Amino acid sequence: MASLKSDNFLMKFYSWLPIIILFISVLNEFDFNYLNLKFFSFNFPYILIFFFTLKEFKNFDYFLVFLAGLFNDTVIGLPLGISSMSYIIICISTSYFRNITIRPNPIKDWFYFLFIIALINSINYSILTLFFGFNLILMSYLVNIFFTFIFYIFFVSIFKLYLKGIND
Amino acid sequence: MASSRDDFIIAIRSAFLKKSTKQKFSLLSLVLISIFIILLSSFDFRIVRYLKIGINEIVYRSSFIVSIPENFVKNTFSEVVEYSTFYNDYKKNKDELSDLKSNNVSSEIIQYENKELKELINDYVSSSNKILAKIIVDHDSPFLKSIVINKGSKDNIKIGTNIYDQSYLVGRVIEVNYKTSRVLLLSDLNSNVPVSIAPQNVQAIMTGSGSNFGKIKYIKDGLTDTFTEKSIVYTSGTGAIFKSGIPIGRLKTKEKNSFINLNVEFYSDFSQLKYVFAELIAKNEIDITNANDLKKDQTSINLIESKISILEEEIEIIEDTNLKFKEENETLKKEINNLNNKILNFKNEISSQNEKINKYEIDKNELQFLRLNLSYGHLCRKSFLNNKGFKVGTEKYKDCVFRKGRKN
Repeated sequence: MASLKSDNFLMKFYSWLPIIILFISVLNEFDFNYLNLKFFSFNFPYILIFFFTLKEFKNFDYFLVFLAGLFNDTVIGLPLGISSMSYIIICISTSYFRNITIRPNPIKDWFYFLFIIALINSINYSILTLFFGFNLILMSYLVNIFFTFIFYIFFVSIFKLYLKGIND
Repeated sequence: MASSRDDFIIAIRSAFLKKSTKQKFSLLSLVLISIFIILLSSFDFRIVRYLKIGINEIVYRSSFIVSIPENFVKNTFSEVVEYSTFYNDYKKNKDELSDLKSNNVSSEIIQYENKELKELINDYVSSSNKILAKIIVDHDSPFLKSIVINKGSKDNIKIGTNIYDQSYLVGRVIEVNYKTSRVLLLSDLNSNVPVSIAPQNVQAIMTGSGSNFGKIKYIKDGLTDTFTEKSIVYTSGTGAIFKSGIPIGRLKTKEKNSFINLNVEFYSDFSQLKYVFAELIAKNEIDITNANDLKKDQTSINLIESKISILEEEIEIIEDTNLKFKEENETLKKEINNLNNKILNFKNEISSQNEKINKYEIDKNELQFLRLNLSYGHLCRKSFLNNKGFKVGTEKYKDCVFRKGRKN
């Protein structure tokens, strides 16, 4: 009976793992900056949210994604709501993409992801510079988009293993 | 054509409005809420401010806990790097420390003089109190350079409070919560600091570069040629945002396409900060409208106080020198004692040698007497034939022998 309970707990933890990782990554701001590589950064939450909302993962609650966005803004020091809006835009895009896709293709997903992150970063950049008067380096955004796009394939292969594990 | 437009509309509507079985909110409502929050955060409403402070407190603490493993890796990495350069750093620091110790006394006197002069020109006198603050969140975002410290409005931190690493400027507080505050680092693109460049005494504005150095901007043409690699950048105090005279970094000139870039290499390494000092300043401005007597009294008291402090400093210096003189005296006394002992030894030696000489002289006289006695003794000795002679062993006999016989 005890082992059944512990198995149940492990299963629950495993199924909630993506959302836990999302919260850890926004609170930790997972971007490898302490390596001191010039401009190097990538946005892990974008990859995570895009993949799991595209695959319509049942425990990936939109409200929790919204909340993670608020946390991210607080940690980075951006005006509240910016990251939440970005994350929700990803959710909308994936939902739309899911509706129009009959036969899923990883390469199509990948380039659609590039389009979405470019759009989101453009919106962010515009809001922050035009409405909030922030001085930002455009090159940092471009490099961030590039590395996020590159790392997508790598993380997606790990996420697929996770999905395979949970389905089995 | 119409059907594809319908498909698009259906897909969009479905994306925005359709809720999956597990979803509690539709995406449209969440987008609207985010836009509403962005709009609210651009206005400074009191309720929003308090709500933000509450969220910040919770999130900063959570972020600190979640970042423990990452910080552990980060610290281990930097410690390994530090250990590899440990000995060289130690030697360098030792030399620097001895230089700084010698400069410290004179700089303190200069500070007091500066304070006195400020009072004389009716400026303000600031009594500052630095408190130690721990950095709880230092995520080096590629877009914004800021840190979060564990001191807030509870500890009298205010927006604009200057933050230091040792005595070097790090940044200023831009957001204050109850127990935490966010500090905008000097390296951030949004950071602007009025600075002076010494020894050329040129005024300029330093802005962050988004990287680990600053940039000198808004400088008069033609002045850039006068700068050297040894020029020091410190706050000028213009605009009263930062206190004057706080060291920031060293100037680095870089020529690119016949255009000189002026960068500032910060004294402090912002990526290695663990603890910082927040300076709580109480500005005591001298009120010009006050009664003249009161002003004069206050000014004279302040003057006297600062003079007393300078004198105290001087006394300290004199005491130091006195102490050195005393030590020198002690060593000289010891040397004198040693020399006296040596003199005494020499004297003893001389007296013993004199004795030897005297003895030698006596022996010599005795020998001569004996020699003469053999030759002339019979002339001086009293006998049957020589009844005018002297008795053997008397002084007169001796004289007679030395005179080589009796002489009338």
